[in-house]
Amino acid sequence: MELSVLLGVLVFLLIIGVPVAFSLLGATLVTFFMMDMPAIAVFQRMAGGMSIFSLMAIPFFVFAGELMHRSGIAERLVRVAEAAFGRSRGGLGQVDVGASMLFGAVSGSAIASVSAMGSTLMPMMRERGYDADYAVNVTSTSAVCGLLIPPSHNMIIYAAAAGVGVSIGELFVGGIVPGILTGATLMVAAWLVAVKRGYPKGEFPGWMAFLRAFIMALPGLFTAIIIVGGVLGGLFTATESSAVAVLYTVAVAALLYRSMGPRAFLDAAIQAVKTTAMVLLIIGSASGFGWMLALLEAPTQLANLITTVTDNPILILLIINLILLVLGTFMDMSPLIVITTPIFLPIVVGLGMDPVQFGVIMMLNLGIGLVTPPVGSVLFVGAAIGKVKVEETVKTIWPFYGALFVALMVVTYVPSVTMGLVNLMR
Amino acid sequence: MRVFANLLSFASRSLLMLGGIGLAVMTLIIGWQVFARYVLNASPSWSEQASLVLMIWFVSFAAAAGVKEGFHIRISAFADSLPGRWPNRLQLVSHLIVALVGAAMAFWGGELIMRTWEHTIPTLGISRGFAYLPLPISGVLIALFALENFLEQLNPAIAGDAES
Amino acid sequence: GQADRPLYSADAHVADYPTVQGVEAMARMVEERTGGRQRVKIFAGAQLGSERDTLELTVFGALDLNRVNLAPLNSIANETIVPSLPFLFSSIDHMRASLDGAPGQTILDALRPHGLVGLCFYDSGARSFYNTRHPINEPDDIRGMKIRVQNSDLYVGMVEALGANPTPMALGEVYQGLVQGVIDGAENNWPSYESARHFEAAQYYSLTRHVMAPEILVMSKHRWDRLSGEDQAIFQQAARDSVPVMRELWDARVADSRERVLASGVEANEIGDIAAFSNLMEGVWDRFVVTDVQRRLVEDIRNLGGAA
Ligand code: NA
Ligand code: NA
Repeated sequence: MELSVLLGVLVFLLIIGVPVAFSLLGATLVTFFMMDMPAIAVFQRMAGGMSIFSLMAIPFFVFAGELMHRSGIAERLVRVAEAAFGRSRGGLGQVDVGASMLFGAVSGSAIASVSAMGSTLMPMMRERGYDADYAVNVTSTSAVCGLLIPPSHNMIIYAAAAGVGVSIGELFVGGIVPGILTGATLMVAAWLVAVKRGYPKGEFPGWMAFLRAFIMALPGLFTAIIIVGGVLGGLFTATESSAVAVLYTVAVAALLYRSMGPRAFLDAAIQAVKTTAMVLLIIGSASGFGWMLALLEAPTQLANLITTVTDNPILILLIINLILLVLGTFMDMSPLIVITTPIFLPIVVGLGMDPVQFGVIMMLNLGIGLVTPPVGSVLFVGAAIGKVKVEETVKTIWPFYGALFVALMVVTYVPSVTMGLVNLMR
Repeated sequence: MRVFANLLSFASRSLLMLGGIGLAVMTLIIGWQVFARYVLNASPSWSEQASLVLMIWFVSFAAAAGVKEGFHIRISAFADSLPGRWPNRLQLVSHLIVALVGAAMAFWGGELIMRTWEHTIPTLGISRGFAYLPLPISGVLIALFALENFLEQLNPAIAGDAES
Repeated sequence: GQADRPLYSADAHVADYPTVQGVEAMARMVEERTGGRQRVKIFAGAQLGSERDTLELTVFGALDLNRVNLAPLNSIANETIVPSLPFLFSSIDHMRASLDGAPGQTILDALRPHGLVGLCFYDSGARSFYNTRHPINEPDDIRGMKIRVQNSDLYVGMVEALGANPTPMALGEVYQGLVQGVIDGAENNWPSYESARHFEAAQYYSLTRHVMAPEILVMSKHRWDRLSGEDQAIFQQAARDSVPVMRELWDARVADSRERVLASGVEANEIGDIAAFSNLMEGVWDRFVVTDVQRRLVEDIRNLGGAA
């Protein structure tokens, strides 16, 4: 009863056009009143859901991206990327997938990846004639790869929830091939859509021109080296690296290129704050909403359905995936990992699946939830940075969902994709 | 009415300005955290909590301004596809609901502060209430901005007058 | 309405952890002894939020029961600082005797004015330092190391007093921080060292046993006041009765985790001269033991068998 009110009010408010954050808050408040619970908790969850250290990557990377854009650093990067990949149709789309995979690999956070790549690559792609929705779709969906390619803090949560005997080291190794596979299916989707839309195909400008562009862009390219090197070298955490990126960009813009005054700096900060507020207000509101879902035991009830439906192993795996996909559209990753792992893991282990493989399935599956409305924080960050309405981008995102789903099915039904490397290690 | 509208748009611009400054300060705090840990070999214990509190502040402020500027993510496809005056009517309802949620945020955000005022934030030594202080402030402004949007939608002439 | 729904109970540890099973044992007894009139639903694994967040929700009455570590209570009621003081207890038995006795009751009672009813203490064993570099035998060995601490002034002060560099960091970032070298070490008990998988990244576990702060089970005063006197007594007794159940599970878990971790190649070492560490704590004690109630608690606890 409470559950249907919670979901019903949410859907109603969304349909009549109430902003997503206020729809989530409204639905949660109504349910709180109905259950005679103190509404003060809704706003405590909202504030709590917004003040998480790793979420700071959003304002910082968006800020850094705005600064790069306004100072001309981004423009110099475009020329290099264009010189290097301009020959193939939709080449920047491939660059985007590859860069997001690498960045997600280093940061371990899909949010950080879409914030950083969105802020630098999306303006680039738009200037070269790519549609904004395409840029958003490619960047958001390929951020999911970062959850699979190590490191990934969600895998650490899974290992703890799975209990004894699942090693984080093995999970990390297990995620490598599935992560690359997911990137590959997305690259295919990006290429197909680019061909269909007739995106530009440039000429290679020659080695001299390429070299010139490369040298001009070096200070910008160095941002990536600082972030990756700093994180791998233990100088700072992935979250801290986003603040370092801002400080470095300010230094380059102000001292080297002398292209920015204090006013432009403040404008960049304000734009970053707007984008952050748009997304974090939803993440905070969704946190209260997800709290209520957990309290009403929605994930548990749905998950318990499975044993009553079928005993066919192939179907069971499919249903588990579908349940996770549905839950992932409404709730964030970490609570879902904690709640559903103890329910699903014994079932799949009973079917002979290795807990490492199931962990990778879960990462990919719940990662897809991060790019699906109504609660899809990664897609929202992408849409906010790309300045496209979520509903517009969702209209054309299907090929990319398709690519993710193909990867999910392969990872689910072909154990060796995950376990090949792991078994070598054992 | 005009004074009221001018006041609100001043409030909205100020909120964004404060938010931008807040983000700049947060950047410096985390930069200092990295610098102090590596160069001075002394991590500031307050930096993580300080930047988290700052983030609630600037997100809440900018979120309020977002109601005024209309930049919050919403799904308008269904409402827009309806015939006649329906899109307009649903828009009015939507503004009222945002105003109600804003009022709720103001009211219970205020209670949140009172109930946690005697808790302290470890490593900062200030009241936990400071972390929640922006909620009622933004709540009031969200309610006002949404009401203004409502009135504007109801009678565009008033808004036109206010802008002139 | 609120009165006929089950009591919601939060726990930050995963479902098979002894704290969760302790609350489960209590829940079974309550249900049995009230003839099913009172039921408890446990939400494990921090699915309803961090300990600090759920603690606030418990004060507001949005959650009814909560099993937390003492650390997040330190900023709410300063009596809870006492059992968290470094090198206060001389052994696990001393800790248990103190918390089962009058000092423990004083601390449980101190929570009432803050909207919480303290029901019982559970064990959290002894916390020791682990790091990625080398075994710690004397304070000089930890000097200059970047040690992750909880978001707590007491822990910051303690690590600082040892000459190390305390680095407050969210638990979720610690594993990666250890692997990449942002931090050199952290501190925790055997089961958490194992379940958070930090032993995979930090191979030296040095048994300083510097803090033996217990876990605590609290009820929202909001909900407590709505229970009949009879049910209050049943909850109180069931909580007490669950303590030995939890401790048995805990001791087994410690032994199990210890064995598992050592089997993975972790190098654990005893400390020869623990006084070299505890002598550095004088300033920390002076800073955090400030009220008469706290001083009396310290004295009572020491009288119960403290060797220090
Ligand atoms: Na990663
Ligand atoms: Na989603």
